[in-house]
Amino acid sequence: MAGVCLAGWWLYGNLVDNLTRTRIPTDFNFLTQPTGFAIPENFGFDPDLPIWRMVLIGVQNTFLAGLVGVLLASIVGLVVGIARLSSNWLVAKLAQVFVEGFRNTPPLVVIVFFSFAVFSFGPLPVFPEALDLKLPGSDSNWLVLSKSRIGIPSLSAERHEGLFWLLVVCGVVAAAGVWVWRSRRHVRTGEPHHRVLWSLGLLVVVALVAFVALGGPYDWSWPARSENGRRLISGFGTSAAYLSLTLALALYTASHIAEVVRASILAVPKGQSEAAGALALSPFQRYRHVILPQGLRIAVPPTINQYLNLVKNTSLGTVVGYADVTNLTRTSIGNANPAPQSIAVLMGVYLVFSLVISLLLNIYNRTVQLQER
Amino acid sequence: MTTAGPSPDRPATGAGRAAPPRPTAAAWARENLFNNRHNSVLTVLLGAGLVVLVIYGARFLFVTGQWEPVRTNLTLLMMGTFPREEQWRIVVQVYLLCASVGLLWGGLTASSRDRARDAGVPFSRARLRDGVRRWWPVFVLLAVLLGMTRTWLPLAFVASALALGVAARRVMEALPEAGRRAAWFGAGVCALAGWQVLSGTGGIAWWWGSALVAAAVVRLTRNVRTDARWQPLARLTLVAGAVAVVWAVYAQLDFGGVGWDDWSGFQLNLVAAAASIVLAFPVGLLAAVGRRSQLPAVRWLSVGYIEVIRGVPLITLLFMGDLFLGFFLPTEDPLSKVTRAIAVMTLFTGAYLAEIVRGGLQAVPRGQVEAAQAIGLSAPRVLSLIVLPQALRAVIPALVGQFINLFKDSTLLSIIALTEILRIRESIHGQREFLIVGIAETLVFVAFAFWALAFTMSRESQRLERRLGVGER
Repeated sequence: MAGVCLAGWWLYGNLVDNLTRTRIPTDFNFLTQPTGFAIPENFGFDPDLPIWRMVLIGVQNTFLAGLVGVLLASIVGLVVGIARLSSNWLVAKLAQVFVEGFRNTPPLVVIVFFSFAVFSFGPLPVFPEALDLKLPGSDSNWLVLSKSRIGIPSLSAERHEGLFWLLVVCGVVAAAGVWVWRSRRHVRTGEPHHRVLWSLGLLVVVALVAFVALGGPYDWSWPARSENGRRLISGFGTSAAYLSLTLALALYTASHIAEVVRASILAVPKGQSEAAGALALSPFQRYRHVILPQGLRIAVPPTINQYLNLVKNTSLGTVVGYADVTNLTRTSIGNANPAPQSIAVLMGVYLVFSLVISLLLNIYNRTVQLQER
Repeated sequence: MTTAGPSPDRPATGAGRAAPPRPTAAAWARENLFNNRHNSVLTVLLGAGLVVLVIYGARFLFVTGQWEPVRTNLTLLMMGTFPREEQWRIVVQVYLLCASVGLLWGGLTASSRDRARDAGVPFSRARLRDGVRRWWPVFVLLAVLLGMTRTWLPLAFVASALALGVAARRVMEALPEAGRRAAWFGAGVCALAGWQVLSGTGGIAWWWGSALVAAAVVRLTRNVRTDARWQPLARLTLVAGAVAVVWAVYAQLDFGGVGWDDWSGFQLNLVAAAASIVLAFPVGLLAAVGRRSQLPAVRWLSVGYIEVIRGVPLITLLFMGDLFLGFFLPTEDPLSKVTRAIAVMTLFTGAYLAEIVRGGLQAVPRGQVEAAQAIGLSAPRVLSLIVLPQALRAVIPALVGQFINLFKDSTLLSIIALTEILRIRESIHGQREFLIVGIAETLVFVAFAFWALAFTMSRESQRLERRLGVGER
């Protein structure tokens, strides 16, 4: 034990000596210095803001990539995992090809492929320097591709949007009420409940009526480029770097999640499925009410691991120039900020990410696991 | 008809089993493609999409694809800036490795044949056809590489190397029991000699040689009877002396050779992954055992190391290695870039291996340890003779999986400007004639090279898992 302490002290002493020798500061004061560079992903970011603000922006970008990646990967993984067990030979084989293909290719290669071969050059839809696709018979674009940025239409608030959302919330409450009413009626009289249809229908009707009555609180905002063509002034803009990062990571992780889903479904005893069949449940009902709830329990812990991996892998966005926290830290180190402290902050950020995710999902895990007596 | 859950990749007919009558194509299609309305619609839609995709893909591969950048730079992609006048070292190494693998393979076949004979079970040799079926991605990769070179020399090289491997296997199988034991040793010597030829004095063969000599000394002195109290010390002195002699001899010799600092291209990917996993093994073992230690300080240290490393991405660690790993040492940065990268990858893999080994340790029943303690074995002996052999056998497939991950992660070395294959691909498009030519093609080639190896390894490890019966207790 003493030896370990001594070794640690020796290493730390060497580090401090070397830092002093090369005149690199050994404290964390650099965090309050101005950042000194703009972030293409976030136009609002002022280069004069301190470095700790830059780290926060990086965390936000990492979070955005991770969140969308996790959602996409879960959906695709679930679908492909179920498809691998399909009784249709073609579906099962295609799912297998997807899984084996993405699982055994380095994610970095996939990210670079999306960035350079899909969104820039290459045989797939060739995106030239700039491309505006106009709606037929109007001046508005529905798709804007400028160098590394992609714009799609979005909604912009025009009038009374607060009131509109208030009414929608009322609609949600009413829909929940209808849901409960239909469920109770179903239990009491046994007639089909159709509660999804009823509540969703009510919600849509309320929203539509509110929208028309308020004279259109939202309007389309068509994407358009600014004077110098470098940024979008309207619509919803995202970057090719972000898209390639999230898509590639989502597909890579989906291939892993699909295997988890498949293994979990296979782990549900066959008798469950047969019993559900004997009760004349449809294949969908069988999956929805019998197999998936049981399989989910088995699937949660390995899926947590996959989510953690995905969040850590968002650091690969550095390669395609996505402004995640790793990339920003690296640029900041390039601007002569001390490397050891910067990397320490970076590792701290990822450790917090890992801790928070595993904490949240472990709580969730506890709720879905069987309550054993 | 509509039951979900038939396993799609179950082999159609086993070798020894009675084969069911083969259904006609129409019956098969009705059963597997059009067995209900949903499936029929799905089949038609997906089939149409697949046809389009296949036509598009085939056109890309054979007609529109511009493979010139890959073809021109094939050597660069494979071995980067490896000195061309030293290429013969790689050739010799590949021959020696093939011989070594052939001997090992033959030895395994022969010993399982003998075991089958002793047990009175019929033994069927693995046939070449099965080998090709299992290893087809590797063969396709070889065919692509050879097809692109369009000269006969590499073809002759690969063919002769494969032939050498097969011949070594045959020789090993034909040998009697006693000769085989010597040949096992020969396999190890071949592998080491290969590394020696390649890396010469400039390389890692020092370490391999020292480890080999140390192991030999330990083995030889095992049965020497001395005063019991001094025996460990005497053996330690002997080992140290032998290693010192090896190093002294090495210091006098000069074989030339190319150390890993000068390796690049796909070779660097393979070497970095292989070296890291080998070096990480002791680290992982130590951390796993430390995690179960009775001493809280050791336990917390191990837990801290494992959890911190597993909680951060490899890139951040690589940046650390690239930027200031040398700062932890008293001298002015004596380590090369590749060495630092491999050190970091070792550190990274060690944490993951520790968790894998821990899983294996937990799989060993408590009774084993208690029985060993009851017959009076010391704690290190319990660990090394009873627990680890059982634990490690259970984790071999997971180890292969970790190696595959590491192999895929070796592409990250490009981020710290090491010239591994992805970096070289990037530099190809800095050549004037290939500025925007074949960007997708070079990426597809790189992806396929990784895929072929990773896919084959993962399938082989699944096979191993089934054969070892892991998880079927």
